[in-house]
Parts: sequence; structure tokens; C-alpha cells
Amino acid sequence: MPSLKNTAAEPPPEQPSRPVFDTGFYILAVSALAAGALVVLFKGWDRALAIARDEMLFMAVLAPKIAAGMFIAATLPLLMPRDKVAIWIGRESGMRGLLLAAFAGAAIPGGPAMTFPLAASFGLVGADIGAIMAFVTSWALLSLNRTLIWEFSFLPVDLVWWRVLLCLPFPILIGLAARAVFGGRDA
Amino acid sequence: MNILIGTVLLGAVALWLYARLPNAEWRAAGMANAWRMAQFTAPRIVVALLGAGFFAELLPPEQVRALFGEGAGLSGVLLAIALGPITPGGAFVAFAVGAAALKAGATSSLVVTYVTAWSLFSASRFLAYELPLMGRQLALRRLLLCLPVPFLIAGAAHVV
Repeated sequence: MPSLKNTAAEPPPEQPSRPVFDTGFYILAVSALAAGALVVLFKGWDRALAIARDEMLFMAVLAPKIAAGMFIAATLPLLMPRDKVAIWIGRESGMRGLLLAAFAGAAIPGGPAMTFPLAASFGLVGADIGAIMAFVTSWALLSLNRTLIWEFSFLPVDLVWWRVLLCLPFPILIGLAARAVFGGRDA
Repeated sequence: MNILIGTVLLGAVALWLYARLPNAEWRAAGMANAWRMAQFTAPRIVVALLGAGFFAELLPPEQVRALFGEGAGLSGVLLAIALGPITPGGAFVAFAVGAAALKAGATSSLVVTYVTAWSLFSASRFLAYELPLMGRQLALRRLLLCLPVPFLIAGAAHVV
């Protein structure tokens, strides 16, 4: 864990903002609208409205969890600034570096807009390609925040546990493979 | 029950973090950040949950069972891996699609394979974030290295 101290005297760091409506959102909206139109067409308005009502109820049930998860993802970067995490991981090497990077990837909450710049910054502070790959792969496969908020909400518990267990070794294996394949050239 | 456990866990961590913020200025910044994130995420969640609900309704159970049920074989694995990257939207879409397929008769191992393929190769995430933020070389290298993973997961999931 990097130090969480020495923050009282300083102002909180600025966080980047991003547009609310981007291409990704429009793709999602058009897909949802098309699926909704097809349900209306094949099953009628009543069925479509019933589904919409159920989904909104489900969202209300999830809301406290989503709110807590978002607060964590929004606050942690303030307490654990990006440059500190990067230096912390860049300092390590060998198997320890891979394990640390994999742990950080799973534990640090945040979407792609936060994770990829963080991973890219590892290279600038001395982390090798193995650590960068282990971090990104671990975030993609094992992100704790995502599993707690979304995966356990939709999928059966045993299935989630099996998936996590099966995926557990891969961030390290990918990190080792990255060192073996690309490590000699420019890492 | 799952939802309750997750809510309690995340709620406790959120409260702990709130207590760690050093003063009122930091707490205000934390809340402002969370609010900005909510504005970004809320419309996506609403649209995605609606879309996932409609999509699940449209899934024909007979076809799902034929393509992804017991005895689907290698073609089921390949199709599950191919569908992962082209799933639009965030985590909730992929998990909702997986849950709908499971209800319609897909096997657990193929749903695990699909979720793995999505989490490693989501095309919208790759194009919108990974490629521009990580640079072409690192992004493509990761893609290449991770390529075997869904196949290995499918094999392992099939065995267990």
C-alpha cells in the first residue's frame, strides 16, 4: 500500500472529466432501442413495458451498491494518486513486480479511462512490459469492483467463483509470456 | 443475497475511504468526483439494463440450447469467443447477456468462456480506450498475448 498520509496540507488533485454522451453510449442506446422495438414487434407493448419495469426495479435494488462502488472509484484516485501507484509498481521487478502489478490490477477500481493511462504511465517510471501486461490483464479478468457490483448481481455465485479461480493464474502467466516474448527488445 | 453481501462490502469500503479523507475540502472533492462519475454512468446503466432485458426476451431458447447447450462442442466455444468482443457497452451488458443465455439453456462453461472473451477483447473498449491510451504497440502486444486465454479457459471450464 502506498502512503495515504501527507495529504492534509495539500489540496485534492484535479480529476479529468469526460463527455457524458460519446460514441460508445450511442452504440449502446441504438442497440437497446433496436432490441426494444423488436420486443414490441414480436411480443407487444405490454411485454416490453413489463420488461422495462422489471429492469428499473432491478436497478433500484442495485442502486446502493452502484453508488458505493462509484464513490470508491471516485475517491481512491484522490488518496492514491496515479503517480504514486506507478512509482510503487515501477520500483519492483522480478516475480514480486508481477505479483504486485496483478494485485493492483484487480484491486484498484476504475473503468478503462482510468486504468489504461495508469498502465501506460508504469512504463515511464521503470516498470517492465511484464508488469504492464500483468496489470492490464488482471484488471480485465479480475477487477474486484466490477465483480462485486455487476458480476455477482447477474450470474450465479458458483459460476463467478469458478471463473475467478480459472482466471487467477493468467495475469502472472501473461506477464511472464510478455517478458519472454517482448522483454529483450525494448522493455 | 449476493446483492446484499456486495452492497454491505462496498458500503463499508466507501465509508472507510470517506473517513480517510483528511478534511472538508477533500470530502467535497470526493463527492464532486463521485457525482461526475454518476452523471457519466447512470445513463449508461439505464440504457444497458433496458437493452439487456429486451435482448434476453429475444433470445430463442431452442437456438441457444442448440448453439450453446450440452453437446455444443467446439463450434459453441468458437461462437462464444467470437460474441465476447462484439458485445457493446459495459460490464452490465456482458453479464446480463451471459445470465440470459444461461437461463435459456447455455452451459456454464460456455458462459464463462464468453465472459472471459468479452473481458479481454471488448472491441469498443479496445478501440475507444486501449488503442489511443496505451499506444498501438502495447495494445496489439497485449491482444496477441491474451489470444489463447479464452480457449484455455474454455478447455479448463469444460473439464471442471
